[in-house]
Amino acid sequence: METRRAEFWVPYRLIAPAVALEAGLVIGPLLVGFWYSLHNVRFFQIRSFVGWDNYARVVTSPEVLGSLAATAIFAFFSLILTFALGFALALWLERDGRSATLMRAIVLVPYMIAMLVGSMLLKWLFSQEAGLSQLALGPLGMGDVSILANPKSAMAALVFNAMWRDAAFAMIMLLAGLKSIPPSLHLAARVDGADAWMRFRRITLPLLRIPILITVVRLLIHFVNILTFPLILTGGGPGNSTEVVVLRMFRLGFQDHILGPANALAILVFLANLALVAMLLLLFRRAGRL
Amino acid sequence: MTDVFAHALRRKAARLAVNALIGLFALLPILWGFLSSLKPTDKIVEFPPRLLPENPTLEHYVRIFADNAAYFIANSIAVSAASVLLTLALGALAGYAIARFRFPGRDTLMVSTVAVMSIPIASLLVPTFTLLSATGLADTRLGLVLLYSAYQLPVVVWMLYGYFLSLPVEVENAARVDGCSPTRTLFKVVLPLSKPGLVAAGLFVLVFAWNDFVVAVTMTSSETARTFPVAIYFYLGFYGREWGPLLAASIVSIVPIVAIFVFLQRHFVSGLTGGGVKG
Repeated sequence: METRRAEFWVPYRLIAPAVALEAGLVIGPLLVGFWYSLHNVRFFQIRSFVGWDNYARVVTSPEVLGSLAATAIFAFFSLILTFALGFALALWLERDGRSATLMRAIVLVPYMIAMLVGSMLLKWLFSQEAGLSQLALGPLGMGDVSILANPKSAMAALVFNAMWRDAAFAMIMLLAGLKSIPPSLHLAARVDGADAWMRFRRITLPLLRIPILITVVRLLIHFVNILTFPLILTGGGPGNSTEVVVLRMFRLGFQDHILGPANALAILVFLANLALVAMLLLLFRRAGRL
Repeated sequence: MTDVFAHALRRKAARLAVNALIGLFALLPILWGFLSSLKPTDKIVEFPPRLLPENPTLEHYVRIFADNAAYFIANSIAVSAASVLLTLALGALAGYAIARFRFPGRDTLMVSTVAVMSIPIASLLVPTFTLLSATGLADTRLGLVLLYSAYQLPVVVWMLYGYFLSLPVEVENAARVDGCSPTRTLFKVVLPLSKPGLVAAGLFVLVFAWNDFVVAVTMTSSETARTFPVAIYFYLGFYGREWGPLLAASIVSIVPIVAIFVFLQRHFVSGLTGGGVKG
């Protein structure tokens, strides 16, 4: 009896340190951020309670609205292209054998290196000074174009950055799914005379719906919250054309030091993330699990 | 018969071509950065660009180490290693509790672990800086270690929970019957059996901590706590754009993580597909 009462507290003692860390550094900041978002804050001094004013200021700010548009464009194209490339790579490199193993490792390299470093290397590749991209564009009659100085091509470069780094992530997630499909299914379908496209649609896709769902949700959250790519590759420019909402928030907080609106925007970004995940899950469920 | 042979050959050639294209796509930016980093400053910016450096030089590599790169690399290593250890320690305790005990609040805990996993780091940056400043943890290595651990802990708890579940419970019961306390059982029986799970989870934290730029650049200001990615970033703006040292430092930062990855690739991939949601 004695030991049992003592054992009651054991699991709580085991989880206490983890809970304390999360409470202090994740939940705490979230609540502090919310508190700040309701106040007029100057250089970390809370001046006065302003209610929802910061939120009103944020959602009517043209910069923020522009950054929402930039986020939507960036996330939309990045998601589609990254997923498509990752899926193609997974199908292409699914087979066993040394060359496929080697290729999988090579594709993973951009994903392993720091986002900052990857974006830096692409900035160099795309820069007019480096010349390599200029050299490639030359024969197309666009030799003098500075990729990062034009809003459209800068956005394209940003999407390329996302695709270059994260296609490997999609590939790995989908590869794991592909590997779990029993080969006998494909064999049986082949015996029945189904061609490759038929087998892909009737066997591969339906059995891959959960990995696809997880990959899409994780990629989308990643792209909506990405800060490093635009901060390094384009700096949000030219103009504000690639200033995504997280970069706007970063600048409100760490460059302009207007912490009230910065925190209001942070809370809105957090809520948007929640809504996004809920919506996607609902959508997938409604579609009869894909 | 020769027809079949020619067909197979064509297939092989096509496959090789596609693989070469994929390899070029993945590695060209890195290769171009590396080749450029070997050029003397006045030859880096040159049109039309020369693919191979004419007089390769290590001056930019010498320069970054003269700029204290070794200290920043050491900072990165120390912060990453401490984050891995702390996260594994806390994650093992919590994961074990969820895997082996039924207790009131367990379901709530599991759900909130997933919820915490999906909180974007970006929305935490501004208030976290405020909080760290108030507690004196801003601009310290300890602050970074605590943050990296907090951000990766939910994923690690989830991974280790899954791993512990897959272990046979009989061995633990035997230890318990022999009079081992739950904590002792965890350290003497469960953890030694969990090496692959611990490696996968640890690698996850390591890659995050080694590669992080956003958290480090917002939470540190002085050189004392500066990590290597932040040091690289400063070449971008401080003295105009210095492509030479910038590229050299980038290449240097790639080496350790790719080396680790070559040895532990399998574990990382299993961790990636088993792990969490954090973006």
